[in-house]
Amino acid sequence: MKILVAVKQVAALEEDFEIRADGKDVDEDFMLYDLNEWDDYSLEEAMKIKESSDVEVEVVVVSVGPDRVDESLRKCLAKGADRAIRVWDDSAEGSDAIVVGRILTEVIKKEAPDMVFAGVQSSDQAYASTGISVASYLNWPHAAVVADLQYKPGDNKAVVRRELEGGMLQEVEINCPAVLTIQLGINKPRYASLRGIKQAATKPIEEVTLGELSLSADDVGAGKSMSRVRRMYVPEKGRATMIEGTLAEQAAKIIQIINEFKGA
Amino acid sequence: MSVLSMKYGKKQHSPSEMDMPDSTDALVKLAIKAGDPYVAAAVHELATGASKRQLEMQILESRRTALSLARWEHTPSSVLAALSNIGDGAVDTRLDKNPNTSSEVLSNLYVDASNKRNLGLTRLIARHRNSEAGILKSIVLFEDDEESLLALSKNPAAGPEVLVSLAERFAGAELGVALNKNIAQNISAPADLLARIYSVSDLHTRVAVIGHANCPDALIAEAAASDEPLMMRVLAKDKRLAPEVLLKYAESDDAGVRCGVVANAEMPLSLIGHLLGDSSELVRREIASRSDLQAEHIAVLMADPDGWVRQRLARNPVVPLQVLASLAADENVDVRRAVARNAECPVELLQTLAADKEAWVRAAVAYQHHAPQRLLVGLAGDNDVDVLSGVANNPNTPQHILEKLVASQEADVRRGVILNKAASRDTLLPLLEDPYYLHRILMVANPSMHELDKWNLREDPDYQVRFSVYRWAVKKIAPINTRYIVGNEVIRRRRV
Repeated sequence: MKILVAVKQVAALEEDFEIRADGKDVDEDFMLYDLNEWDDYSLEEAMKIKESSDVEVEVVVVSVGPDRVDESLRKCLAKGADRAIRVWDDSAEGSDAIVVGRILTEVIKKEAPDMVFAGVQSSDQAYASTGISVASYLNWPHAAVVADLQYKPGDNKAVVRRELEGGMLQEVEINCPAVLTIQLGINKPRYASLRGIKQAATKPIEEVTLGELSLSADDVGAGKSMSRVRRMYVPEKGRATMIEGTLAEQAAKIIQIINEFKGA
Repeated sequence: MSVLSMKYGKKQHSPSEMDMPDSTDALVKLAIKAGDPYVAAAVHELATGASKRQLEMQILESRRTALSLARWEHTPSSVLAALSNIGDGAVDTRLDKNPNTSSEVLSNLYVDASNKRNLGLTRLIARHRNSEAGILKSIVLFEDDEESLLALSKNPAAGPEVLVSLAERFAGAELGVALNKNIAQNISAPADLLARIYSVSDLHTRVAVIGHANCPDALIAEAAASDEPLMMRVLAKDKRLAPEVLLKYAESDDAGVRCGVVANAEMPLSLIGHLLGDSSELVRREIASRSDLQAEHIAVLMADPDGWVRQRLARNPVVPLQVLASLAADENVDVRRAVARNAECPVELLQTLAADKEAWVRAAVAYQHHAPQRLLVGLAGDNDVDVLSGVANNPNTPQHILEKLVASQEADVRRGVILNKAASRDTLLPLLEDPYYLHRILMVANPSMHELDKWNLREDPDYQVRFSVYRWAVKKIAPINTRYIVGNEVIRRRRV
């Protein structure tokens, strides 16, 4: 039994940053990299299945990205993933989520997992489409925004609860293998133990080339993507106004604004 | 050498490799050998000459590291000073925001910002708490940027002289009105300036002046004639207010004014009875917290329909045992919890509350510092994380219970043990390998741990733990009274 977890190293920003010279992204020096929060929950869900199963379950994490992504993959290994795979080629720079989904699909075909987990979205790009595009390429069933999962290794069906608007949940029975995009809060992700971190440091990260996936530079990158970033910029400030004055005065102004909006 | 290669503080390697350095030179050499920018930052203030240059090369190994250290709230000021010399505008912006940036660095940055007409940096310097009065005075005298001046007017680092200059420069100007509002709330504003601002300002600013700790007595007396509710609310809390004015305020139609009266420690006892039946629950809540309550007041308050009134009463240490016992049976969970948190709550009552159906109440019992061991042993069998956290925190909890709680899956419970001053080293030892990095940082600061326990965390996977170990070592080897700062240099006064 094998569960494949697609993960991404995401970038966070401080309040001050600089845009790259080409205007298409933030200068990398200002980015703080970490494992995508949603993927932390996906991995934990896979680990829960592994640890509660009577049969052997292998958890494989996969990411598409350059060398720096190894740090996030080691984090996954430290938390208990059995193997880590990283796919990269410089020609993949600028790939949109759909192309990344294509690359992941080729890995999945080779690995032949019984289930595929991905985060609902990445915190830096928020397309929420990688997992779904993988399901589409594979022609597998999928469920998005999974907030609860009942599944035992070997089962040909899983029951998931999907989070909907307005606090609603939708219970869905889904055929397996399937692609599930996991929502925050489905579990409580663990911290990696020091022992796990130490062991992860010595585990190999399998580096896979596009060629090994029967892909070429022509299949990936901005050129092959159906969407491309034209520019990234900070918009003009909106209608926000700093309320000045003494504390009592600020309170009075806030009350006045609230009353105006309420029509009082 | 990793913490994993150690068996809980027992040496397995040669002492020369494992022992903590006994001199600043040895510590600096070890930090250089580590090749870690955060370790280098931790010991930077101790180094001189070539060693210092080597550390700075590690700190400045990449722009990314420089930016991170410039932003980090734990970066020592000597490192921030070194970062100010690299001439990177983005780094300078972060230095201006960092609370550890020294006044000297800020002064240099101001000169640079001023020459380049960099208003963004000037604004940050104007609001920085470490900015020198001289620099702030320069901003007052020579800058016209409103945002910088408004930021400065809120800065407590601007002493009385700077604030007076600011108010004088813009007296009568439109900007002066906004500046006066800020100055009236600035703790550094002197009494005479406050008096001047009071004489020329609108009601809100005058109210701020009256609420200021430096407000002169004469203004308090003058303002007492006001019948503005805003003014009376602030005045009512002032201990300098004449008793007859307090009596008058107690009759005010404004609940905020009456609340102020009750919050005033100088309020005559006779007024409590008068305000006990006040229509505003806010007033009655204030009364319930007073330390001069009499039996007849308590009897009325314990039957108050407002849960917050009863909750405040239940926390009040002057409340007698019988009343606490009655409140311990209150239908409101927060009232029962308040009884359990009362510093004077007797053990018998704690025992009753330890069996409460609500975990929120049992948790309060678990945190009570005079809860007896037997009660804590019983609560250690609870399943609720808040209750177990309380047991873990409680210095009366027996060591054998703490030893079990160290293995809890809940980080809050394990943290409770780390923060428990009675937890022994033997109990705490497993937590040196706690998965949560913040817990390992707390272990470095824990006085129960041996030096070697802490030192062995120096190669922790988390950079913040490594930094905290070396910072601890710096303080251990060269206590602050052996160091002093000259310019951007921290010079060792003597070797320890």
